[in-house]
Amino acid sequence: MTLATKLVNDSPQPIVASIRGCTKRYPGVLALENADFEVAAGEVRALLGKNGAGKSTLIRMLTGAEMPDSGTVTIGGEALAQTGSSRAAEAFAKGVRVVYQELSLVPGMSLAENLFLGRWPRKGGVIQYEAMEAEAAEAMGRLGLDLPPDRLVMGLSPAERQLLEIARVLVGRPRLVILDEPTSSLAAAEAEKVMTAVTRIASEGIAVIYVSHRMNEIRRISHYATIMRDGRIIDTVDVKGADTREIVRLMLGSESEQVAPLQTAAREKTVLEVNELALAPKLASISFRLREGEVLGIAGLLGSGRTELLQSIMGVRALDSGTISVDANPIGAPNYKQMVSRGFGYTPESRKEEGIVPLLGVDENTLLTDFSAVSNLGVLSKSRMSEATRRIVDRLHVKTAETDTPIGTLSGGNQQKVVIGRWVHADSRVLLLDEPTRGVDVEAKAQIYAIIRQLAAEGRSIIFVSSEIEELPLVCDRVVVLRDGRLQEEFTSPNIDQDAVMAACINDH
Amino acid sequence: MSTDKAATATPPARARKGSFSFSRHMNEVSLFVAIIILYVVFTSTAVGFLSFNNQINILRDAATIGIAAWAATLIIIAGEIDVSVGPMVAFISVMLAYFLQWGVPTPLAFVMAIAFGAVLGSIAGILRAYFDVPSFVATLGLWSALRGTALFITDALPVSIGRNDIVDALDQPVLGIPPAAIIMLVLFAAFAFISRKTAFGRSVFAIGGNAHASFLSGISVSRIRVALFAIAGAMAAISGILLVSRLGSGNATAATGLEFDVIAAVVVGGTSLSGGRGSMLGTLLGVLVITLIGNGLVLLGINPFFQQVVRGLIIVVAVLANIQAIKRSMSRNKG
Repeated sequence: MTLATKLVNDSPQPIVASIRGCTKRYPGVLALENADFEVAAGEVRALLGKNGAGKSTLIRMLTGAEMPDSGTVTIGGEALAQTGSSRAAEAFAKGVRVVYQELSLVPGMSLAENLFLGRWPRKGGVIQYEAMEAEAAEAMGRLGLDLPPDRLVMGLSPAERQLLEIARVLVGRPRLVILDEPTSSLAAAEAEKVMTAVTRIASEGIAVIYVSHRMNEIRRISHYATIMRDGRIIDTVDVKGADTREIVRLMLGSESEQVAPLQTAAREKTVLEVNELALAPKLASISFRLREGEVLGIAGLLGSGRTELLQSIMGVRALDSGTISVDANPIGAPNYKQMVSRGFGYTPESRKEEGIVPLLGVDENTLLTDFSAVSNLGVLSKSRMSEATRRIVDRLHVKTAETDTPIGTLSGGNQQKVVIGRWVHADSRVLLLDEPTRGVDVEAKAQIYAIIRQLAAEGRSIIFVSSEIEELPLVCDRVVVLRDGRLQEEFTSPNIDQDAVMAACINDH
Repeated sequence: MSTDKAATATPPARARKGSFSFSRHMNEVSLFVAIIILYVVFTSTAVGFLSFNNQINILRDAATIGIAAWAATLIIIAGEIDVSVGPMVAFISVMLAYFLQWGVPTPLAFVMAIAFGAVLGSIAGILRAYFDVPSFVATLGLWSALRGTALFITDALPVSIGRNDIVDALDQPVLGIPPAAIIMLVLFAAFAFISRKTAFGRSVFAIGGNAHASFLSGISVSRIRVALFAIAGAMAAISGILLVSRLGSGNATAATGLEFDVIAAVVVGGTSLSGGRGSMLGTLLGVLVITLIGNGLVLLGINPFFQQVVRGLIIVVAVLANIQAIKRSMSRNKG
């Protein structure tokens, strides 16, 4: 195994992009610290690091979206010189392209129209469909995407959409293509197509930066992987020689502090039992039990099916097969309202889109789950509303000026506490929390951990989904790892080893 | 970086009382100013504008728009729209006239008319809630079908109800005030109460603000949507009853274009067409603005065709000014 401390460039290919001594500071965070990085033509460079390690900042340096506080960014032999918004245009002109996770296609338009979105070839204001479709067919052909260019995006599979996104950036002859977790929303068979396409792009001499945590993918398409942690580039390793545990150690660092053993509150009684649950193509034969007072962590990479699992238990999504039992009584196909009345509560992953009603106050956002508890004969009582809200706000340490302050003005962490708090108000006994600490500051995270432990101590059962491995030992009595649509490994407190969990998440077998 | 920059911003500390509540009600305040301006302008230019009789007329006209506008406000806050109001009023007036012709006891006929309106409205609601037909399309269908049915069965002729003391009484002023205006104000109080003080009302705001989050919080989103359109149908039916009492007949051609007056009043009143935001008080003021404009222009003797132009302009300018005022007060709030 090669642990090169110098930059890796033993190929004869020219360097397409390099970053020298770049530092970037945001208020309160050192996002990038004295980073050196380079990528050569025709290379597929994997970029690894957990959330907040600085990957996005590094990418933004290359695209010119942000300027380093110090250091230089060189694309195609020339340093980026512009500042502000023209810097991004400069990087674009030099051939830097990014494909982000969120797909940005217009479903009702054709493949060709999407490929040239906003830049349709025109003559006298009229779109030249023939020329456009010919060029589109060519760009898609380079990726092995053989579809009629006049077809609508609507009917495409997720992998085809992802390939179309990639084809879109190939139109202007790019030098460097950055792919941000391109396979995270894809099932294994579909991811295959994307990887084939990536290999083809590289063989044309385009440099590719491939952000992903799926080791099997990385091993197939990359030679080298650059690993980031805490805003620093830790190392660039030869992927073929490095083993997963070593890469995990580099990603997580060795300073994983000893965690005080949790006081488990788990009792014998099983409140939820899931048997052979399947939801094609994401989940297959998932079985587990959740005990009263237990915090069960579900670890897994982005797109591993964590959200789908919670949603199919709650009845938000219809499951294909499998049985779910509540208090040892099998229930039929779950229905959301019924699950809520059985004492289940669910907090969604995307707080803004699915969690909060931004214009309404903290009070109404909290009490939403049960208005009857604060009503007299169907009339909402102002005093009981503020009293009930105050109870939740105090218990969950929500920082808000007043109980009726619009929730949209609160910080993400405080919004999240309210979203959890509404199920405490409804007195739910089983809470399914999907990424409750995403986009939340450090202090609020610690408070959310404490809240979860406290709720468990009261006898509530909690499923805690997280992609931040290091928080699992702090919160969970037990952790199961979801990979390739199945539950793969199980860890029980106090033996929840971060490195082992991470390795189970990213590993291939 | 996954660090949410907005997440670290502390919520703005605000003075709740005094200055803040003023800016929170910026919308209502600016509408109130607009009404005063309209009064000043019309008083000084239109003869007889300020007379008692004309003020009563304004109230009576306001009732026609207002009763439907209360329900429309809730519908628009929920992020939906109802364009079927005018034909619904006309259709129900025709149905009521037939009920009375058939000798149905008057109170029962009223109840039947209101129930009829609720059922028709809930058709649009069910299409929206359970079949994902956009409410604009569902109510547009009703708009066309109801007007057409009413015209078809009456041949566009008024359906006389003959002599009916109860119906006549509905058009007799009480202490100088027409019952329609009283009914409008009573319903206003009821809707203002429902929208602010009941779980149903607050759920409407929640659904308009974020339907997905509301569903995940256990709110019966579909049922509430159906209920909203049923309520709108019932309110249109009440307008239809008042129409019959005023004209003495059911009339398939009545209330033409009422839906647009209603929507204009709600929007002028500051309710957001994208849902989640709005107030009953705003709509009350919006109804007054729309009614005052109509009344004043008639008194001024302006060509009726040109009246429509002026009305259109005033509505757009009112909404524009309102949006600007709210924006300004919000940016002042931030700074």
